[in-house]
Amino acid sequence: MKLTERVKQLRQNSLDATEHISSERAELVTRFYKSGPAGELSVPMLRAYAFEYILKNKKICINEGELIVGERGPAPKATPTYPEINVHSIEDLEILDTREKVSFKVSDRVKEIYREEVIPYWKGKSNRDKVMKAMTPAWKKAYKAGVFTEFQEQRAPGHTVLGYKLYNNGFLDLKKEIDESIRGLDYFNDPLAYDKHEELKAMDVACDAIIMYAERNADELERLASGTEDQKRKGELIEMARICRKVPANAPETFHEMLQHYWFIHLGVVTELNPWDSFNPGRLDQHLYPVFRKDIEKGNLTEEEAYELLGSFWVKFNNHPSPPKIGVTAQESNTFTDFALINLGGLKPDGTDAVNEMTYMLLDVIKEMRILQPSSMVQISNKNPDRFIHKALDIIKTGFGQPSCFNTDAIIQELLRQGKSILDARNGGASGCVETGAFGTESYWLTGYFNLAKILEITLYNGKDPRTGETIGLRTGEPGDFEDFEDLFTAFSSQLEYFASTKIRGNNVIERIFSKNLPVPFLSLLIEDCIANGQDYNEGGTRYNTSYIQGVGLGTITDMLSSIRHNIYDEKKYSWKQLMDAVKHDFEGFEELQYDLIYNSPKYGNDDDYADHHAVMVFEAFYDAVNGHRTPRGAVHRINMLPTTSHVYFGSVIGATPDGRKAFMPLSEGISPFQGVDRLGPTAVIKSASKIDHLKTGGTLLNQKFSPQFFEDEESYAQITALIRSYFKLDGHHIQFNVVNADTLRDAQKNPELYRDLIVRVAGYSDYFNDLGEDLQNEIIRRTAHESM
Amino acid sequence: MKGLIFNIKRYAIHDGPGIRVTFFMKGCPLACWWCHNPEGISSGIQEIDRTDRIGSKEFTVKETVGKYYSSNELLDIAKKDLVFIEESGGGITFSGGEPLVQPDFLLESLKVFRNEGLHTTIDTSGFADREVIDSILPYTELFLFDIKHMDPGKHKHYTGVSNSLILDNYKYIIGKGKKVVIRIPVIPGINDGEEEIRAFRDFIDAEAGGNVSRIDLLAYHKIGSSKYKRFKLDYKMQGVEQPSSERMNELKRYFEESGINVKIGG
Repeated sequence: MKLTERVKQLRQNSLDATEHISSERAELVTRFYKSGPAGELSVPMLRAYAFEYILKNKKICINEGELIVGERGPAPKATPTYPEINVHSIEDLEILDTREKVSFKVSDRVKEIYREEVIPYWKGKSNRDKVMKAMTPAWKKAYKAGVFTEFQEQRAPGHTVLGYKLYNNGFLDLKKEIDESIRGLDYFNDPLAYDKHEELKAMDVACDAIIMYAERNADELERLASGTEDQKRKGELIEMARICRKVPANAPETFHEMLQHYWFIHLGVVTELNPWDSFNPGRLDQHLYPVFRKDIEKGNLTEEEAYELLGSFWVKFNNHPSPPKIGVTAQESNTFTDFALINLGGLKPDGTDAVNEMTYMLLDVIKEMRILQPSSMVQISNKNPDRFIHKALDIIKTGFGQPSCFNTDAIIQELLRQGKSILDARNGGASGCVETGAFGTESYWLTGYFNLAKILEITLYNGKDPRTGETIGLRTGEPGDFEDFEDLFTAFSSQLEYFASTKIRGNNVIERIFSKNLPVPFLSLLIEDCIANGQDYNEGGTRYNTSYIQGVGLGTITDMLSSIRHNIYDEKKYSWKQLMDAVKHDFEGFEELQYDLIYNSPKYGNDDDYADHHAVMVFEAFYDAVNGHRTPRGAVHRINMLPTTSHVYFGSVIGATPDGRKAFMPLSEGISPFQGVDRLGPTAVIKSASKIDHLKTGGTLLNQKFSPQFFEDEESYAQITALIRSYFKLDGHHIQFNVVNADTLRDAQKNPELYRDLIVRVAGYSDYFNDLGEDLQNEIIRRTAHESM
Repeated sequence: MKGLIFNIKRYAIHDGPGIRVTFFMKGCPLACWWCHNPEGISSGIQEIDRTDRIGSKEFTVKETVGKYYSSNELLDIAKKDLVFIEESGGGITFSGGEPLVQPDFLLESLKVFRNEGLHTTIDTSGFADREVIDSILPYTELFLFDIKHMDPGKHKHYTGVSNSLILDNYKYIIGKGKKVVIRIPVIPGINDGEEEIRAFRDFIDAEAGGNVSRIDLLAYHKIGSSKYKRFKLDYKMQGVEQPSSERMNELKRYFEESGINVKIGG
C-alpha cells in the first residue's frame, strides 16, 4: 500500500525537524521542586505530583494534519532534559550543540535558563551526583579505565514493554485496582504498609495526571476544530477530541482509540523520567488485530484508513530522539534512536502461530515509512510460515537494516529458564536491541556494558591498565610465569570475577539510590503486579525482576586467547616476551609477526573448534561470575551479549592485542566475529556463534553483512530463510542483516550530503550512516561482506 | 584412498538445490579458454605466490593449491553444515576441475555420502569414459552438465577436446533417466552467435527428454584473469567483455521456448 499525501507530509516534517534541547521540562520540574508543597511530600508522592505538574503546565503541541496527538516536548524533536537524573553543565550544553554527531541545537535562551534556574538548584543534587559519590574507588578506577559502563548514570531504568493488560484497560480501571489494594493493606502485620500506601496514592495521582493531560489535548483539539474552515479537518479534530476524552481514561475500543491510548501511555513514561529504551508498544500486531477486525467488520474503518493511522503513529516515534547523552553514555549509545522495538509475529498465548493480517500490514508500514524510529523486528517461531520471513526479507534486502530477526522459540526457553510462566513467556519478546523480556510483567534493567577484552588485557599486564600504568585489577602474575594456557585462563577468570563483583556491588547501590529517590509511580501502573504489591517498578514491585550485564568483545577476546594458545603454548612459535613486545609497540617494526597473527592464527567465526572453544570458555566464565547474584529489589543478575556502540568505545581504551588487532581499533560487536576474520561464509559464522549457550542469556546479537545479490530471487529467499531457520534450530537468539555494498558506504563517507537517507544496521539497531562517527563508519565498511559467490 | 581437492566451499548456493557444500576436485581433461577455476586444470599440487595486505603493506607468501582428503574427511566437513543442508533441502556437490578424473575416489565418496542420505550432485564437463559414468550413476542424484559448444571443431579449438564423447555421455545419462541441469557458458564471440545459439537449442529440443529440470546460462565473467597471472598461465580472453544483462535476458527468453525453465547464473 502507498503512503497517503498526509502521511508523506508528516514523515517529511519529521525528517526535516532539527533535534534541539527544550528547557520546558527542566524548568517545570525545578519550579515544582522549589515550591512549598514539594517539601511536605513522601518521595513517591513528590514524584507523582512533579509528573502531574509537568503534564498540567507543558505546552500542548498538535501538528498540522496529524491523527495521533501528543508530543514529549513543545514541538517535534524538541528534546526535554531530566535534571533530577543528570543536570547538564553549560559546558555539556556547548558540547551537545556543537559536536559533529548526534548533536542537539541549544539556544542562548536555554543556556540562560540553565545558568539562572536549573543548574543552581540541581548542582550536586542530581541522581548522577548521588551515584558517583556512592561508588567505591575500585569501581571508579574500573569505570574510568573502560572496564564497564553504567547505564543508570544519565538515564533511568526502564527497559520494559507494554503487555496485554494496558491495551485492554483504562486508567479509571487502574484507579479501582489501586483503591482495592489500599483497602487491603495490613497495618498490623505488614511493616511496609505505610510505604505501600504512599506508593499507591502516588500511582493514583499519576492516573489522574495522564487523564488530565489527555483532556488538555482534547480541549486544544476542540479549539482548533472551532477555528478551522476545512470541514474535513474539522471532523477529524472533533473525532480526535472525542478519543482523547475517552482514552486513556477508559479501555480503547477502536483501532484509532488504541493507537492514541498507547501513545498517551508512551508519553507518560518518557515524561516521568528518561528510561532507557524510551517505551515500547511490544506485540503491536497482536494488540491491534482484534480491534482492527472489529472495526472492519462493523464498517467503521477501511484498510486505507488503518494504514494512514499507522503512518501517523509511526511519525510520533520519529519525532522523539533519544534524550541527550554525554560522556561515556554518549559513547556507549551514540545514536538518536531511542530503541522502541516493535515486535511482529511469534506465538499467541496458546502457543499457536500468531502471524495475522495486521502483521503483514505493519511490515508494509515499516517498508513504506522507512524512518529511523520506531525500530522493528520479526519474531520467528518454527510455527510461523515462510511467507512471513519472505515479507521481512523484502524489507531487509533494501538495506534499511530493519526488521531484525529473532528466535521466538529460544526467547520462550530463555524466559522459562528464568522462571517465568509459559503464558508470560509466550507474551514476551525482545526490546531495545535484543533483550529478552516478559512484556507487561517484568522489570529488566540493563546495567552496563562489560569489556571482556579489556579484562584480558589487564591480565596480560598483571593487573595494570597499560594505558595509564595504574594497577586497577588483581595481581595475578606476569604472563611469562604462566606455565600453560590453563594458568593464564585461571588468572583471567580471577580478574573477571573481581571486576564483575565490583560492577554488581555498584549495581546494588545504584539500584537503592533509584528506589529511594526516583520511584516511578506512572511506569509502575503499567507493569504487573506493582499495583497488587503496592510497590514501585524501581523497587521490585513487578512480577519478574532481572538485572543484566552485557558482555562485549567476545570475538576479539576469543581471537586473543586462540592466538596466545596457538602461538605460545601449542606451536611455540613465539615467546611471551616476543608477543608482548610486539603488542607494546603496536606492531611497529613487528609487521611480519602481526601478519602471522592475523592470517595464520585460528579465529572465531570459522566453525573451528580450536578457536570457538575459547568463546565458550569466556562465555561460561562470564556467566558464572554474573548469573544468579541477587539485587536489593529481588532481581537476579543475568548476562546478555550486545554492544550498541560500546564496542567502538571499548576498543578505544585497549592497546594492540595478540590477535593482531592494532591499538584502539573497535572490538568485535555482539557475538559476531571480528571484522574481516570470518573467511568461510555465513554457515561457518552461524556455527561458531551457536556454540555458546544462548538459552543461558537474555539476548545475543549476531550481525551479518550481505551484499544485495543474496536477495535477488525466490531461490535466494529460500536459502536465506533456511539460514535463519537453521540458526534458530541451533538456539541462536537473533540475527540481523546489513544489506549494502562497501562501495556505496565509501561513497557515502565522501559525499554525505547525497546519502542523508542512508540507514545501516549498526548493532542491534539501525542508524543514519551520516550520524555515525567516522571510526564506526569505517568499521561497518570493513565488516566482511559475503560477496556474491 | 584419497582425493585431491583444491577448494571446499560452504554455503554454496549455485551448485544444485538448497544450501550445499561443494568440493572442487583438481585436474581436468579440458582447458577451456574462459575457465574461471584455472587452478583446477592441473592434476598435481601447485605452489603459487599469494599477496595479502594489512592496510597498504603487502605480504607475499607461498600458497599450496591442492590437498589430499579421504572420503570420511569430506563427510566430516559436510556434516558441519548438516543443519543447513537439511533445512534447505541441499546436499553436496563435486565440482572441479573435473570430478570424473578421480573416478575411484569419487565413487567411494559418493557412496559414503549416499549412505548418510545426503543429496549428491556432480558438476561435470561430461568428458569421461563410459565405465566411469556407469559406476557413479547409481550414487548421483543430479548432474550439472556443461555443454560448451555444438561444433566439434570449435569445441576442440577452445577446450582442447572434441564434444562427441561429451554429447554421447549426455544422451546416455538422460537415457538412464537421471536428472540433469544443462549449463551453457555464454562466451561472447565464441559460442553466442545466432547459429551457435540455435544449435544449442536444437540439440536440447531433440535430446532433453523429460529429465532436464533447468538450463543455466552462465555469463562469462573476468574473475578468472588475475588467477591466470598467479598460476603463470596464458590468458587468451583479453578484450572479451562480459555479456550484458539485456543479452542474457534475450537468450533466456530464447531458450525458454524449449519449454524448460531457464536461469541466468547457476
